[in-house]
Amino acid sequence: MHRFLRISVLLTGLFAAVSVYAAESLQTTQMTEDSLGPLVEQPIEFPHNRHAGDAGKGGMEINCMYCHTYARRSAVAGIPPLQKCIGCHQGIESVREAPRIKKLFEYWDAKKAVPWKKVHDLPDFVRFNHERHIKRFVEQQNRPFQEVCGYCHGDVKEMTVARRSKALSMGWCASCHQKDHAVVAEGGTQIGSQAYWYTFYKPEATDGSTDVLKAKGPNDCWQCHK
Amino acid sequence: MMDSGFDRRDFLKVMGWSGAAVALSGCGNTSIEDGKETVVSYVEAADFVIPGIGVYYNSSCAQCDAGCSINGKVREGRVLKLEGNPASGINNGKMCGLGQAGVQHHYNPDRVREPLLRNGNQGEAISWEKAYALIAEKLDGVSGEEIAFLSGGVSGHLKVLLGNYLSSFGCKNHFVYEALSPGVVRAANKKAYGVEMPRYNINKAKVVLSFGADFLGAWVSPVHFSQQYAQFRNGADGQRGVLIQVEPKMTLTGANADRWVPIRPGTEGILALGIINALGTATGDIAAAVKNYDKVRVSKETGVPPGQIDKIAAILKLRSPSLVLAGGAAEGYAHGSQNAAAINLLNHVLGNVGKTIVAPVTVPFPQMAPAKGNTAALKSLNDGLAAGNFKVLFNYAANPVYTAPGAMKFKDNMAKAEFKVAFTHYLDETALQADLVLPLDSALEDWGTQVPEYMTEGAQINILQPLMENLHPNTRGMGEILLALIKQRRPEEYKNYEDYYAYLRAALVQNKNAFGGHSMDDDTFWNETLTKGIIKLAGTTTALNGGTNVSSLKLPTPAEQDEQFPLQLIPSVNISLRDGRNSNQPWLQESPDPLTTIVWDSWMEIHPKKAAELGIVEGDIVEVTSRVGSIKTQAYLFPGIHPDAISIPIGQGHEAMGRYAKGYGVNPFKIIDTVFDRETGELAMHETRVKVSKTGQRVIIVKDESAAGAKQVREKIAGRVSTDNVDLSKEV
Repeated sequence: MHRFLRISVLLTGLFAAVSVYAAESLQTTQMTEDSLGPLVEQPIEFPHNRHAGDAGKGGMEINCMYCHTYARRSAVAGIPPLQKCIGCHQGIESVREAPRIKKLFEYWDAKKAVPWKKVHDLPDFVRFNHERHIKRFVEQQNRPFQEVCGYCHGDVKEMTVARRSKALSMGWCASCHQKDHAVVAEGGTQIGSQAYWYTFYKPEATDGSTDVLKAKGPNDCWQCHK
Repeated sequence: MMDSGFDRRDFLKVMGWSGAAVALSGCGNTSIEDGKETVVSYVEAADFVIPGIGVYYNSSCAQCDAGCSINGKVREGRVLKLEGNPASGINNGKMCGLGQAGVQHHYNPDRVREPLLRNGNQGEAISWEKAYALIAEKLDGVSGEEIAFLSGGVSGHLKVLLGNYLSSFGCKNHFVYEALSPGVVRAANKKAYGVEMPRYNINKAKVVLSFGADFLGAWVSPVHFSQQYAQFRNGADGQRGVLIQVEPKMTLTGANADRWVPIRPGTEGILALGIINALGTATGDIAAAVKNYDKVRVSKETGVPPGQIDKIAAILKLRSPSLVLAGGAAEGYAHGSQNAAAINLLNHVLGNVGKTIVAPVTVPFPQMAPAKGNTAALKSLNDGLAAGNFKVLFNYAANPVYTAPGAMKFKDNMAKAEFKVAFTHYLDETALQADLVLPLDSALEDWGTQVPEYMTEGAQINILQPLMENLHPNTRGMGEILLALIKQRRPEEYKNYEDYYAYLRAALVQNKNAFGGHSMDDDTFWNETLTKGIIKLAGTTTALNGGTNVSSLKLPTPAEQDEQFPLQLIPSVNISLRDGRNSNQPWLQESPDPLTTIVWDSWMEIHPKKAAELGIVEGDIVEVTSRVGSIKTQAYLFPGIHPDAISIPIGQGHEAMGRYAKGYGVNPFKIIDTVFDRETGELAMHETRVKVSKTGQRVIIVKDESAAGAKQVREKIAGRVSTDNVDLSKEV
């Protein structure tokens, strides 16, 4: 009897703890197609609209890739080195005394990195590959960068500091991968060696092939959960 | 175990339910944490630096003295993984587990981070300027003879700089001490072949007869020998090489051998002479020297059956060239030199010299050649300290308070020096006795050059370069420190070198012609050198010119049974922990010993027969007592050991050094008798006799092999034939 009492107390405690945790985390989770993340306060309020926005709205129409150059070369996009900002801004006298630019040069003079806050922070068990998506949409399908980046990052050229505007949850990823994205690369996945889950498309054999089929996106958990 | 009445099943039930509860409540939620983590960019980034993509640098491994070259993956300014550099003739792109753990040395949480000055029992953090000034102050008015510098093996430009620093105040007391050096074998080789370390062609031998040389595990250059061994096993002409290992305690090499021959400890030389006798091909002096070593006598003294001796002799006769090696188990006796000489003689008789034992190549800069050392050096330092001859003691890359035999009382003698400086990575046993502790860069942060003792076909100088910026801002490289110190003495001579990097660059660039850089300008040569991580050069070959002088060869008959201390203690060398310098790397602690699979602890290997005699079962805590002292550890029944011997691995039992080293296992150095080899003065590591007694306690040994408490000999995996009944020629 003593034993069961002990276990039930423990179980009740655990359940209470889990419920509290679950209730709290539920509040912050947004699962809609377009859901704005929290406003993140950055050390410098970087105006994306000024840099990348349309000329008609006072923007410079700078290509995303000019600063976020790592995105097309690596799985992670990284943050542009401070040197990049200074490279242009040391020659732009007109805004040299603006408070944000002064702050920027303070960091530069101290040779210190700007402690930006992550706006699109996936959980540690998710690997999203930037390079692969840019290769597919920009290099193979010739779509403009702003559109392609915008699939996940929203309309950044209208923002000052970036704010998350997509859910970036697994269901949200699947919502895009459900559409028919036939990969034209050679190879494909051997039937039987793939794992698919959720609403990711089940690979189907194509005409005229016996065991090789064209993938429609990740059909292996390992692609994202390494 | 637990007396709460809460048993394992209930515990698992609760865990199961709570796991399910978490899974249910967590379903469908993602944990995107916007705006919480900081993402730091580079201030200035080189073009080739892309976040998420590794950059690779070549450098050199400093985990042991073999001198393997490494290639480190660096991402976002952090070194992540080390592999071998394929350009190196020593490791050819391969790497051992010990080397892999180099990152754990680098990222170790117990590294010293600030210069520390003794204040009572505390170390007080001081600035480097103050530390340098203090050294200058303490050296002021002290004569060169009163200063001693103790170091482990050093080579390359560090050795040159150290020599110059010591000579700047007329100090000749540079003691080089390697706790596990093959000192006796070096001396015997010098006599037999004319060089201390010839080049062994294991891959060209058809039979390797190794007297306790654990060349696959921890002997001289194991990564290189392992590759040679693979070729040896494939066979040069399709004939698979045969490995016979003679040793009282099975090593990793012994476990790989075709024939493992347990021998009475210390009688290796007698067996070698017995084999020469059985071969019957020797003439003249040699024949005369071995004529009394007939099978019956040799068998009686060594415990090796006569048939076994015949078989070894037969296969050596049948297949040529062969290679005979003398290793740690043969040299660790008062007559170790004689043992090694007898074994080397066997190579002469078999005609292996010049075939499988060939002239080594050396770097044509003798000042950079490795300074080798042994316990004899430690002994003379210890004597000097005891006599109060030294006022200032420097210590670098050695930990004598831990590795010196307990009977030497090094710790007490060290206290007699007025000012003791330790250059160190960890607060190890020796650093704790110092007055000033200076923290060193890890090998992955430092600049330097290495000249390996054991060279392969071509000579090479290894380059050490930082794979990443300093992890801790206040550590310094040894070269950097020595340069700062020598600038105190000879400012004019060294004023052009801003730092050790500048010194090293200048030193290498000015000799670029010798390093194959005659067609390059300085910058190109330097960049090429750093890119490759190795300087390959022609080198000079020292011809073998040793003799077969047998007049001084005198092997003592084995001692009579000692009633009080009936067993021989074999302090064995663990392939990961070596002399204990790597014990604070948890990967190495966690790597099971290859033969016993025990982790995170010491143990005493004892033969099952002997254990039954003494009533010992696995896990019994036993007290091992020598004339000097006693230690307590767990017993492990191991058929791979001579019944007259027990074995305790070296490397554990630290009293300091760090969280992963301190308090695990016992240190057999503490009970080693101070017996020395008669010729070289090297510590006779295997000469200690002990007795074993049960304490009454028993534990479950933590090991990988089978269920706790099960015996290794429990199951027969393959059919076995006793060693006497095996026809060796049919085995291979």
